[in-house]
Amino acid sequence: MKGVKCTNCASVFYPKRDCCPKCKSTKLDETEMGDSAVLITHTELWAVPKGISQMPLVLGIVQFDNGARVLGQLTAKEVKIGMHLKPVWAVVRKIQEKEVYGFKFEPV
Amino acid sequence: MPREVAIVGCGMAQFGNRTDKSLMDLLKEASTKAMEHTGLGETNVSALYVSTMLAGELTNQTAIASALADELCLVPAAADRIENGPASGGSAVKNAYLAIAAGLFDIVLVVGGEKMRQVPGDRITDLLATMTHPTAEYIHGVTLPSLAAMFTRLYMNKYGVERKHLSMIAVKNHENGLKNPYAHIHRKITLEGIYSSPEAEVNNPVIADPLRLFDMCPISDGAAAVVLCSADIAKRFADKPITVAGVGQATDIHAVSQRPDPTTLNAVKISSQQAFKMAKLEPKNMDVVELHDAFTILEIAESEDAGFFEKGTAHKAVEAGVTSLGGKLPINPSGGLKARGHPVGATGIAQVAELTWQLRGEAGERQVKDAKKAFCCNFGGFGNNVVSFVLKRED
Repeated sequence: MKGVKCTNCASVFYPKRDCCPKCKSTKLDETEMGDSAVLITHTELWAVPKGISQMPLVLGIVQFDNGARVLGQLTAKEVKIGMHLKPVWAVVRKIQEKEVYGFKFEPV
Repeated sequence: MPREVAIVGCGMAQFGNRTDKSLMDLLKEASTKAMEHTGLGETNVSALYVSTMLAGELTNQTAIASALADELCLVPAAADRIENGPASGGSAVKNAYLAIAAGLFDIVLVVGGEKMRQVPGDRITDLLATMTHPTAEYIHGVTLPSLAAMFTRLYMNKYGVERKHLSMIAVKNHENGLKNPYAHIHRKITLEGIYSSPEAEVNNPVIADPLRLFDMCPISDGAAAVVLCSADIAKRFADKPITVAGVGQATDIHAVSQRPDPTTLNAVKISSQQAFKMAKLEPKNMDVVELHDAFTILEIAESEDAGFFEKGTAHKAVEAGVTSLGGKLPINPSGGLKARGHPVGATGIAQVAELTWQLRGEAGERQVKDAKKAFCCNFGGFGNNVVSFVLKRED
């Protein structure tokens, strides 16, 4: 899982972006996100949009060891703030009947 | 020097499930009422701004501003459609302000509307979700309620907000909505019914944990309109013209997770500070406020980031009745998005219309006594584009 690290202020972002929202620098280098993240907030969604087959859909925001916060689906039903998670590559939804891939988070 | 700008009339088409009317009909109804309220008579409108987020997607009509100019016999008035997500209405009023302040136009009709009820709920939920970040949020199945839910959980943990505070906002706004004839929802609810009784689990089901049905605004049809003009001619139309004293607009980082503090609504903060600075007024000077409570938590967070309460304390003010009608700072006397409803393109204009009625003393049963200064904020996306206004009555 690759994000970007600002060469000026060291902030890390995923998904990649061209400029740093913190210091406005446009010099960002690709960086490996690593496998270690902690859950900081979550929800169990019972009104899912078209293209999502599972109900409820469990979503969360995790914080990686490098400081970056990333939103994604959680594979576990029972979740708790502070739990350790790792990213896994999987189909996340269908958009206009086409499967779209992204990172989900599963308990370590 | 920019010219002073006044609001001289407003009107609304009933919010709700309007199977009886097309989007064009709703826009025409609100426009006609606003022009009649203004007393325009034979005077020509120089321009028309139409705010709608989903007209093209839901009603098979694009370039709707040009069409409405003809439908209302306003040709050859200039006309533009304004789309800025749920802040479309605020953006349209701001554009009218700019055009009049610059001296380009003298009298501008601003109307916004949406017709959202005729398609299935999951389609609307998905269309609204397309305003989230395409790769950081949308592809994961994020919806606006899910973002609000994760925001709420962070807020609860950080500031001690509890479910009961959210329910109190719903109860208050439903109570206010009962006094607003244009509101989508006219239904009294109680704290027992949606929070504390055993039946509350059934009455108020979880939609996006920890948020429940009554933490969310309904999906609505409807339209709202206001007429603005240069302040030097305002007395021709209104004994009590309302001045647009302050205008602000700001954006924020698109993906909520990438914001330095995801519980701070920075665009609310900046746009409200701009509006107050321009008006040379402060939050404590306001008599009545309309906030964008698409979710109950947003009324709490916006009232803090707009400067009415210290961060983390607004829920205590709600509990103490400060923000109720009759309290020291009534918030959402119209019923807010929660009860008035949220036809997306109409909302920002409905807020300005409500404050205009309030400042003119025409708000009926929900009138805030002798209101002279007012504030509103129209919240787009999940706070990544916010438009704020300070309005005041000239005595």
